[in-house]
Amino acid sequence: MIVVDYLAKAFGRHREVRAVDGVSFVAPDRAITGLLGPNGAGKTTLLRMLSTLMIPDGGTASIEGHDVVRERYAVRRRIGVLSDARGLYPRLTARENIRYYGALQGIPAEALEKRIDELVQALGIAGIADRRTQGFSQGERMKVAIARALVHDPQTILLDEPTNGLDIMGTRALRALLRDLRSTGKCLLFSSHVMQEVTALCDSIVIVGHGRVVASGTAAELVAQSGETVLEDAFVRLLGSGEGLAA
Amino acid sequence: MIPRGESATARVAAVARKEIVDIFRDRRTMLVTLVTAIVVGPVLMLLVLNLMARQSDKVRELVLPVVGIERAPALQAFLERQQLTLKPAPADYEAEIKSGEVDVVLEVDAAFADDVAQGRPGTVRLAYDRSRDRARAAIAEVEALLRAFNREWGRGRLLLRGIAPEVANPLSVESRDLATPQSSGALVLFLIAFYGLFASVMGGMAAALDTTAGERERMSLEPLLNTPIGPLELATGKWLAVSLLNATAVVLTLTGFYLALRFAPLPAVGIPFLFGPAEFGRFVVTLIPLVVLMPAILLYVGCRGRTFKEAQSNLSVLLFAISLLPIVQMFLQRKDPSWLTWVPVSGQYALLSRALRGEALPWSELLQSYVVPALLTVIALTAVGRLFSRESLLVGR
Repeated sequence: MIVVDYLAKAFGRHREVRAVDGVSFVAPDRAITGLLGPNGAGKTTLLRMLSTLMIPDGGTASIEGHDVVRERYAVRRRIGVLSDARGLYPRLTARENIRYYGALQGIPAEALEKRIDELVQALGIAGIADRRTQGFSQGERMKVAIARALVHDPQTILLDEPTNGLDIMGTRALRALLRDLRSTGKCLLFSSHVMQEVTALCDSIVIVGHGRVVASGTAAELVAQSGETVLEDAFVRLLGSGEGLAA
Repeated sequence: MIPRGESATARVAAVARKEIVDIFRDRRTMLVTLVTAIVVGPVLMLLVLNLMARQSDKVRELVLPVVGIERAPALQAFLERQQLTLKPAPADYEAEIKSGEVDVVLEVDAAFADDVAQGRPGTVRLAYDRSRDRARAAIAEVEALLRAFNREWGRGRLLLRGIAPEVANPLSVESRDLATPQSSGALVLFLIAFYGLFASVMGGMAAALDTTAGERERMSLEPLLNTPIGPLELATGKWLAVSLLNATAVVLTLTGFYLALRFAPLPAVGIPFLFGPAEFGRFVVTLIPLVVLMPAILLYVGCRGRTFKEAQSNLSVLLFAISLLPIVQMFLQRKDPSWLTWVPVSGQYALLSRALRGEALPWSELLQSYVVPALLTVIALTAVGRLFSRESLLVGR
């Protein structure tokens, strides 16, 4: 479970750019929570604070009860992160890329090999597992990046715009995987600027704009809140302007 | 549940292992590192040795173009006794000297015989171009022979007048050349010391940049920092891997010199220094501090670059300064002050030169030369760790 309580982060010389400005929400286990907002709404900064890479200026957040600032290493052992940056090592094979992360997570060799085989099967990358990742397609890279983020079987999974650059087949496969993970009781937090993406997958949705939570709830609740009948109109109404939500 | 360990050492080892595999698979980097290490140094050295050999051959088979030598038959006989081949100089010999075809020409003055008959000194002229390095040995040889002839002739005249030649030579100069075979041949000496140094400074460069600036450029740093690896652990693992590559480059460079000196068909100059197993060992212990220090510095500079290119241009300034140090030291040609041992690079260069002259290196001085590099290594590694924990590293600022 992720608990975010009035989290804030500002950038710039005089902290004048308030990327995240008092965000609160809860993402429960056995659920996919969607973080929906236009580009520049602060989604990536929020996820970087949750994944302990950035230190918040204010507020707190915890993952499975561990504070993201004071217990950052405990948090890192419990989360799997698919960040916006998903570079692989081109001179290592897919398997070696995954193995590296497994070793950093402290998984002993034998258990690690078993786990890698499991992931390779589950993601359907057996055919490329022993090829160097140089020249992999977007979809292949994505699968390897997911495998390496999940190598330690984390309870909490953070995904930043995971469908970016994926084709329809890749997107469908990813959705199926995320639903599978949900059914095993994981807590998934999924950020996207694509409305359909979020509505197709998420149990509850947190809409962010200008670093603040604009509204949250299930798709039906959001429609009811806005007084509109169509979801897309509801989003636009809730964000307070027609800006930036890619359809 | 997947079993998990929590050992920092295991994480550092995992980073080092991965980086080593990654480095040794990078064909371009390996090729550049190894080719410069093994081939270029020895080839350069063989060229210099061959040049020296040609110069000494020149002296031995000196052909001296002469003008009017028939006016001084005694001189002609003397020179021929000294194994010189005399031949008439071409009419345009000045032009040929300028173009480098002829090294030195001897001209006997037209009035030579008259002057000598009337007891005046006879005049001979030497024409040469001293700015030509190749010609210097020949010039010196001819000048020395003329002085010798002058002395012999003078002695003969004194003896005829019943005076002991020693009367005219009150000063007797005896010189002892203390150059061992090792301490002459300064250029080759400099070359080997410089190249050993060069290997330890440059050996890890490409790899260090690839693993830092390259990691940022490839966007693989952020996911890496999401794992439980600590920033200092990450820095240490990378440093270990680059240091290993650096050590490999140094050992290969020295091996290249060793093999070249041992097995290559060396010209008959006599190798002006020793580079055997003992010197090999002394080189290695001298270079250890740089082998560990340079990767730490390179990693730091690499981390500050957003891209490989940016890091590379930042580095070139640093490397230029470092490679200048030994060159300055060589041209100063003074005895190195004792505090120099403490200075990184300069200290190593001084010790390497001494090792090549066949001196044993006292442990006290070696340890002195370790102190500053060891401190700097710790400082640089800590700085790299701090950079890895900086948020700005992710945002690309």
